[in-house]
Amino acid sequence: MAVESSRITADVIEIQEFPDLAQRYAVSGVPKIIVDDQIEMIGAQPESSLLAAVLQSGGDDVRVG
Amino acid sequence: MSLLSESSKQQLREALEKGIANDVKLIFFTTKDSPIVIPGRECVTCKDTGELLREISVLSEKIFLDVHDFYEDSDQAAELKIYRIPAVLIEGLARGKVRFFGIPAGLEFPAFLDDLFDVSRGATSLSEDSRESLGTLKKDVHIQVFTTPM
Repeated sequence: MAVESSRITADVIEIQEFPDLAQRYAVSGVPKIIVDDQIEMIGAQPESSLLAAVLQSGGDDVRVG
Repeated sequence: MSLLSESSKQQLREALEKGIANDVKLIFFTTKDSPIVIPGRECVTCKDTGELLREISVLSEKIFLDVHDFYEDSDQAAELKIYRIPAVLIEGLARGKVRFFGIPAGLEFPAFLDDLFDVSRGATSLSEDSRESLGTLKKDVHIQVFTTPM
């Protein structure tokens, strides 16, 4: 998705090398996907699920909460 | 000592020949190998990551490796929002940023290659609907995918 949109930064993080991030994001299973520190998904996700999370996070002008 | 066997290099050379459409640059942030360990600056996989990237880059004339010292080039690292190493930013025809933190080996290696190919083409296998939807984004989005090498 980062290839397709200038709005997206996609990071792949090898969690064993960064235990601080594993702890911060409570990574107990992989792959674990975090979108904008708000939406969490565990396990490989279909395109539609990841797209929905990205649109939910980046589709509104005003963020509530 | 080489990380990739000769047969792996041959397979990889053929895969890169088919998969890389246009030039890509691997912007690699690392630290210098030193016999002196500075607390807080340890990087267990920086050396192997550098070696792996060097071995990949010599297999294709379309791959360029751009190596930076994370501490000496801290301004550029900050500009690219790279706060930990080893880090690899794949630059090419991607509209956004594709980055790997940690050595892209083991189970991550196929994903790294796929991203290399996609960035070189500036295109993915996403559906037309998905691509149109991504065009409606109004804010920047940060996706983090946590993986393990095994």
